[in-house]
Formats: sequence, structure tokens, C-alpha cells
Amino acid sequence: MFDFPIFEMPTIGLRMLMAINAIIHVFVSHGGAVGGSVVLALAAWWANKRNDMASYETVYRLLMVFFIITTSVGALTGIGMWIHANIISPNAIGGLIRVFFWKWFIEWIVFNFEVVLLLFWFMTWKQKALTPEGRAKSVRFGIFYAVSSWVTMLIITAILGFMLTPNFDGQPWVDPEVYPGNVNYNNALFNPTWFPGLAFRTFSSIAFAAALAIMWTWLITAFSKDEAIRNTREGLIKLFAKIMIVTVPVGAALGYYYLLQIPEAARAMIPTAMMTRAFADKMDLMYMIISGIGGAVVVTTIIAYFSPKRMPYIAATLMVSAFLLFWGYEERTREFIRKPFLIYNYMYANGIRVTDVPHLNKVGILKHAIFVDEEKKVIKEDKSNLIEVGHTIAQIECRACHTENGINGLKFLTKGWSEAAIRNRINNLPGGGTPYMAPFVGTEAEKDALAAYIASLNKRGEIK
Amino acid sequence: MNWKLPFDIPLVVPTMGLPGWFFDTLGIIVFVVHIAFIYTLIGASTASVLYNITGVFKKSKTDDLLAYKMTNPTTISENMGALWGVAPLLVISVLYTGFFYTAILKVSPHILHIIYGNIFAFLLSYAYKFSWHSLHHHKGFHIAIGLVAVLTFYTLPPVFMSMSNLYLQPETFATVQNIWDMMLTPLTGFRLINFFLTAFSFTGIVMIYLGVKWVKAGGEDAEAGHLAIDQGKKWFMWAAPVNIAVLPLVFFAFSPRISEAYIHTPFVFAPFAASVVLTILFFFLLKRFGTSEMNLSDATKAVVLMVVAVALMATARHGIRVVSFEEPLKLQAEATEKYMNDVIAEYKAYKEEMKNAPAVVLDPAVSLADSKGCLACHSVDTALVGPSYKEVAAKGESADVLIASLKNGSTGKWGETPMPPQTLTDEEAKTLVEWVLKQK
Ligand code: HEC
Repeated sequence: MFDFPIFEMPTIGLRMLMAINAIIHVFVSHGGAVGGSVVLALAAWWANKRNDMASYETVYRLLMVFFIITTSVGALTGIGMWIHANIISPNAIGGLIRVFFWKWFIEWIVFNFEVVLLLFWFMTWKQKALTPEGRAKSVRFGIFYAVSSWVTMLIITAILGFMLTPNFDGQPWVDPEVYPGNVNYNNALFNPTWFPGLAFRTFSSIAFAAALAIMWTWLITAFSKDEAIRNTREGLIKLFAKIMIVTVPVGAALGYYYLLQIPEAARAMIPTAMMTRAFADKMDLMYMIISGIGGAVVVTTIIAYFSPKRMPYIAATLMVSAFLLFWGYEERTREFIRKPFLIYNYMYANGIRVTDVPHLNKVGILKHAIFVDEEKKVIKEDKSNLIEVGHTIAQIECRACHTENGINGLKFLTKGWSEAAIRNRINNLPGGGTPYMAPFVGTEAEKDALAAYIASLNKRGEIK
Repeated sequence: MNWKLPFDIPLVVPTMGLPGWFFDTLGIIVFVVHIAFIYTLIGASTASVLYNITGVFKKSKTDDLLAYKMTNPTTISENMGALWGVAPLLVISVLYTGFFYTAILKVSPHILHIIYGNIFAFLLSYAYKFSWHSLHHHKGFHIAIGLVAVLTFYTLPPVFMSMSNLYLQPETFATVQNIWDMMLTPLTGFRLINFFLTAFSFTGIVMIYLGVKWVKAGGEDAEAGHLAIDQGKKWFMWAAPVNIAVLPLVFFAFSPRISEAYIHTPFVFAPFAASVVLTILFFFLLKRFGTSEMNLSDATKAVVLMVVAVALMATARHGIRVVSFEEPLKLQAEATEKYMNDVIAEYKAYKEEMKNAPAVVLDPAVSLADSKGCLACHSVDTALVGPSYKEVAAKGESADVLIASLKNGSTGKWGETPMPPQTLTDEEAKTLVEWVLKQK
């Protein structure tokens, strides 16, 4: 926001920068850690119970893949979420940490269990695999690992739920008219989308992990020189397909239930969220995509179940790709429908709090922009620096979602617009068919400056 | 002093009534654990590559075995190091929010290297470890993988240290513009020397301890154990002397405001005490030099002394925070209070105004035009992207023509910019056009 230094990400924009990290993290944490732990613990238990040592060995190789990816990519993009949030919206993440400090602290303690159990399970597997008692112990490590993974998800979904639905049924989490804000931690925690979100994520994560396991089982068994390992394909793929047959429909049903808990205003944004504005009206296309993804998952599951031995690699890859698409969409949608807010009804996507607005409209957004040089924030008598000042305002208020000339670029969006047209549009950003935009905040003079800057983007290089 | 500080987050700090020293202690403890793992990560990954190389040149199986065995502490410490980095981050974020985030923003995007660079190094270090046997006959390639991983790990502390030095000295917020302004200062240089030397001495002690355990286990491991003890001592005794001299200097390389105030606090003794402990440990090992026999109790003593030295360094570092933040925290709190009081007063006035304002009765056509996005391009009386509705009405075209323009889009009639086709029902289009035509 205005009181922090400004960092801009050219071309791809801040939103995309965050999205790259977030999507990788969701793939790995959901598919690899939360779902993966359950699926692999189950597979290890199943192979051990049937005394099928070849399958038990294949599960170890699967675990190795999951171990490598979750502990490196998964864990670090998890920390990355924070660092990215720091860069993009320090006020929002700062506020969230004030509200959820102890929950995060507990999550961190559970993380310790998770990581230590995983390290133990994986690094002692070989040695423990030699005796039946050892294997029983090893399987138990896996189960505890699965439980602790799930508990970390339990906590983080509360925070995600809070960002979407912080206030409900007249139980406010904070009184915005009091300083310093006294948070009601219980109201913040027990928000209405917490449990629906958790339930939906749990089952779809397990389904996703099973799909990943099918793909990797295929790979491992196809390239192994060991006959016994190659023969484990049928049994394991069938097992994973069984897991999917249970979790896919349950996950879908819970997803629908979650959808129903989302506030009306946010739900109305789903088509735009999924299709971008240009296609927002083409609902049939949206349904086609959804049924395409769903269909791909269902068909490949059925193949895997009835003919695991001949499950083609293409089908396994298709299944995983469908899931990747699904999570990508899910995350994009979840992030988008919150717009124009970052914390619903409390803070806009650009970090400006709703309560700040009347004051800033009076004194100007730039008055408190501490890290901006004088000549970039005070309009000179002769208005020679109007465009520069406007640029600063864009950096403060617009950069969270727009770039100058790249993704969602202001230049492209206002092609052919006169300065008066731009000025008029700024008057009413959330109106005009774009309810996901935050209102302009600042004085009339600042509005002029912003309009002048945006208009200048399409004038560059023109002979005056 | 030219202070540039962001406001504080206007929500109470959730201390749960616990005293300040609780959080100070918590901060120090989690930091010590974190840094101990990071020291081990840096040292153990280096050791693994080093003995892999010597193993090839000396054709020594023992060196190769030691190198392989050092990949386990690498794996454990990289996982635990990352994990225990989260806790200090959390504590700092909640207590010193504004300073920490300002520093991170100032060193962006380079700070993202600690995520993406780390992932890269992590994956390579796994590749190095898990390909040990399959690349046995391609040692050159194998060593190259390990070397790139280690060198990448080495690039992380300079980035992190620059951020940390910035955040510890809020007076630099006004002048430092990017990461290089901070990385190329004597302070960062001193702290990096201190960091790497401590990492190598720490790893020396870890090697001694592991060596003793391996000797006890016997068999093939015992030989690697003897080598580890022998080498561990050398690692420590090479790295420690310079560190003993540099360590106390580090804390006077901070800005004059901090260094001068620091001298008058008891914290000033901590770095000297750390040097003394390292010196004791040096002589302790010197007495046992020249033999690769060591018992568990001696190894444990060495570990304890090393951890005490690291804890003293962490305390000295915490002292910097205490001294440095006192004034800016106060200034920040005052500024935030004033700002928030203004904000809340204005917000209440605004709400009052809204309550008393007469309710405006909007023409339903106007709200329809608004919700359909027409007003983004049109206004009633001035031409914007599209013509003003007054102009359109004055031109006097029939409603059917205009409805067709809306549904199919229109271009060239008023200017070069086209109007894209609008998605409207027949009913809506009719309402809108009738309203437009009324605007004469
Ligand atoms: C993207 C900007 C944009 C939006 C949104 C937009 N218009 Fe237009 N409109 C224009 C432009 C540009 C023209 C001039 C087209 C031309 O020159 O043929 C125009 C022309 C018109 C005309 C005159 C058409 C004619 O045949 O002379 C009417 C009436 C009109 N718009 C109504 C609307 C209504 C009602 C809406 C909302 C449903 C709307 N416009 C939305 C840009 C827009």
C-alpha cells in the first residue's frame, strides 16, 4: 500500500508472480503432501498386509518421488507464499499474521511432526523393511505423517476461509472504528467457509494424489529392469483407482456444497473469474470446460479400475493434467471472487482499508506515501510533473492487478480512449460492469494526474 | 535522522498477555536451532563434495564413504533448516511487521532467490545424493552436480544477510534503494565472513560427533568415522582463529547510532564471550590433536561449547534489535496513532453523512446502464469513448437502428473506435435505447 516501498513486477505483473508460486504450491501441497501421504500410507499398509514385497518396494519408490518434490518444491513455495505476500500486499499479510499468529504457530509445530515423520518414514524404510515388526512400525510412521499433513491443511483453510468470509451473522471479527483493532479471534476462526472448504479440499487432494500415484506407478514399473517390480503395476493401479472411485464423487459433492456457502456477491463473479471478462457470458464454454475436466477424470478412472494392466500412459497423464487444470482453475477462481477485496469488506485488493477511504479522499493518497520522492508525489504549479505523479498513483492503487504494458496492461485496456473518457471511468471503477474493481481513492487533483498518466501510455512516440 | 517508516498494522499484537522477554527468548531459541541447521547444511554439503573429490584423486574408498555419509546430515539439515526458518520469520513478522516488510520490499525481486534458488539447490542436492551409486563410474559428472548445488547454497546467505542488515537498521530505509546498496557494505561483508567461518567450525564439530558414533558402530563405518574425527578437528581449527578475531568487530560495523548505543548495554559482552568460548574449544581440541581417537563424552562437550558460542552470537544479534528498534518503534507507534485517529474520525463523519443524506431515487434505466457497463464509455452530456447520449438522441435515429447497433456492435458512425456487441436481452436493449432517446 501507500506507506510501504513500491515494488513493481514488469510485464507479468504482481498477480501473475504470486500465481506462479501459489499454483505450484497448491499442486505439491495438496497432491504431494496432504493427498500423497494418505494414498501412500494406505498403499504401504495394503502391500504389507498382503505380504506383497514387490509392491511394497514399488511404494517405496513412489514415496521417494513424493519425498523429493514435497520437501523441496512444496516446502519452499510454502514459505514463498509469505514472501510473495510481503511483496504484493504487506498490509494484508501483516494483518492476517496479527489475527492468526497463534494458529500459524500451532501449524508450524504440526509441520515439525510432519517433516520429521516424513524424514523418518522415508530414511528408515529400507532398514525397517527387513522384518515384519519393522514394516508395521514403518507403516505407522506413514499414518502419523498423513494425519499431521492433514492437520496443517485444517489450519490453513481457516485462514483462506477468513479472507473470503470474515464477517457473518452479525459476528464481526473486528470493529473498524476502534484503534488499535481488537480482534475477536473466535469469530475470525470459525468462519462459514472453513469446514466446507476443508472437506472439499481433503477429498479432492486424495483424488489428485491417487491420480499422481497412478502416473508414477506407470513410469516406475515401465522403466524398472526388475520383473517383479514390473508386475506390481496391475495391483497398485487398481488400488489407486479404487481410491479415486470413492474420492472423486465425494469431492465433487463437497465442492458443490462449498460453492453454496460462498456469499452471493462473490458467487456472481465466478463466470468472470473462470473465463476472463471477454468470455464471461459464454456460459456454455464454461460448462464445456468443466465437463471436459470432469469427464477426463471419470473416464480415466474407469480405465484404470477395469484394465489397470493396460492403462495407457496417455490416460494416466491425461488424468493428472485434468487435475492440474482443475486446481489451477479452482485457485484462480477462489482468488478472483474475493475481488475487489483481499479481506472481504475490510481491505481492498490494493491493500487500502475500507475505513481509510474517506480520509484519503480528503488528504490524498500520496500524502502518506512515505517512500516516494517529493517530485513524484507533489503536483507542481505548472503541472509539468502531472504524468509522473499519476504514475505513482497507478503504482500504489493499480499495480496489484494491472501492469503498464503487459498482462492486464493499462495501455491496452484504454486504447482509443480520450483523457476525458479515462477520467470518467476512474470516477466509477466498480460500476461499468466491473464490480471486481476497487474504487479510486484520493483527491480530484490526483484523479486528474492518474487520468493524464493512463492517457499518456497510448500517446508515447506520437508526434505532438 | 531522516526516518522513513511505514505505519504499523492497526490491529493489536496477539501476545496473549505473555511478557516481552517470552517472545525475545522464543525468538532467540528458534533462531539458534534454525542457524545450527543452516551451518550444518552449508558445511556438510561442502564436505560431501570435497571428500568425493579427494576420494577420486587419492583413490580412497574411505574418503568416498565419508562423502556419501555426509549427504545424510545435508538432507536432514536442509529440511529442518527451512522448517525452523519459518518460526523466526513468524515472530519477526508479528512484532516488527513494518521494518521487516520494508526490508523485504527494498531487496525485491532478488529476495525471491531464497525461494527459487533454494529449490534449485535442493533438487540438485537430492540428485547428487540419490545418483551416488548409479553415477559411480561418472565421477566427474557426479561431482559437478554436487558442486553446483553447493555453490548455489552459497549464494543464499548474501541475499538473506542483505535483507536482515537492512531490517536491523531502519535508518537505512531512506537511502538504500536496492539489494546491492546493502550487500556491498562492510557490515554485510563482516557478517558473511563470520557466517561462513562459523558454519565451517560448526560442521567440524558435527563431523567429530558423527565420527565418534560411526567408530562405535564399527565395521566399514569405523574407518569413515576416524577420518571424520580427524578432518572435523582440522575444519574447526582452521576456521575458528579468524572468526575469534572477526566476531566482536561485527557488532561495531552497524550504523553509528546503533553501535554507539550498543556499547552501553550488557549485550556488548556477548560477542566477546562467544569468542572466549570458541578459544576454549580451540585449546580443548588442540590437546586432542594428532589422534583420531575420541570418546563420546569429549565429543559431546565440544558440541555443547559450540552451541553455547552460537547462542551467544544470537544473543548479541538480538541485542542489536533491542538497541536499534527502540526509537523507530516509538516513532512508528505515534505516527500510526495519529493517522488512525484521523482515519476513524473521518470514517465516522462519512457514515453519519450517508445516514442523513436523502435517499436518491435512481431511474431504473440508469442503474441498468451502470450495471451493463455502458457508463464506462458513455455519459449523458460529454463524449467519452463513445458519443454522449445527448448527441445520440439529437441525431434522432430510430430505436430499431440503435437496438441493432447495441446488439451487433457499431463502428464508423461516430468515430473510429468501435462499440463491441453488448450482451443484452431484447427487453433490456429496448429500455436502454428508450432512455437514451429521452436525453435530448
Ligand atoms: C467499450 C466502450 C463502450 C461500451 C461499454 C458501450 N459503448 Fe455504446 N458506443 C461506443 C462507441 C465507441 C460508439 C460509437 C460507435 C460508432 O462510431 O459507430 C458507441 C455508440 C453507441 C450508440 C449509438 C449507436 C448508433 O448506431 O449511433 C448507442 C445508442 C450506445 N452506444 C449505447 C450504449 C449502451 C446502451 C451501452 C451499454 C449496454 C453501451 N453503449 C456500451 C462505446 C461503448
